Amino acid sequence: MAHFSDDQARAIILDAYGRVRAEGGAAVASAFYAPVELEGLPRDAVEMSLGVGHPVRHAALRPGETVLDLGCGAGIDTLLAARAVGPTGRVIGLDLTPEMVARSRRNAQDAGLGTIEVRQGVMEEIPLPDASIDVVVSNGVLNLSTRQSRVLAESFRVLRPGGRISITDLVLEEALPEDVLKSPAALAG
Amino acid sequence: MLLKKFFNVGFADVTVAERVPFGLDDLGRYPLFAPDFLEFLRRAIPPARHRELVFSIAVTASKPANAAR
Repeated sequence: MAHFSDDQARAIILDAYGRVRAEGGAAVASAFYAPVELEGLPRDAVEMSLGVGHPVRHAALRPGETVLDLGCGAGIDTLLAARAVGPTGRVIGLDLTPEMVARSRRNAQDAGLGTIEVRQGVMEEIPLPDASIDVVVSNGVLNLSTRQSRVLAESFRVLRPGGRISITDLVLEEALPEDVLKSPAALAG
Repeated sequence: MLLKKFFNVGFADVTVAERVPFGLDDLGRYPLFAPDFLEFLRRAIPPARHRELVFSIAVTASKPANAAR
């Protein structure tokens, strides 16, 4: 049962991710990424890593591919994907929050990766044409949507036939207490 | 449940590439969670679940080559 409407959930996400500060350093990034992967990445992208896994590792990206990073945040996976697809590839980051869009654009620029483009938008209505993407990656973002099937259907739509998706996310295998599920802070995480 | 959603929209080769328990201490690494919220979780959730609150999973899938564009 949904505890928040679409609008409520979006407002919670905008607020939580708009306010978040990189106070914890790189603790999250070091839990999921190898030191060699983090070398040379802009410090902000590493310290603002808020994902729950490493979808790029499982995506088996190839040079020249076009990648969409759904809910790119400050852009750590966007940057790693851009490295993997190389100068002939292209990576599009999509995020709901203006603050994260600005950060990921700045981080792409600081990394000198001109193959990255960052757009603001919602993952339930991906602002891209049909069959325009080779690989969709996403890290800890699907659970933020109240319409996960819609997000997956949109991912399917933008993928070329034969395209791939690699998503990391948190899943509940046993229900949490009701007062936890009703907490906006729990939704934001 | 999540995997079923992948199949329902048309994805094939749906695979759980990784499944890792995620506990309260793991949540503590994230600047998204204030200390008082983590304390609330500690009180609200039975201690037996503190180390396996949720699972982090990696799912991979593909759009069939013969899928309509």
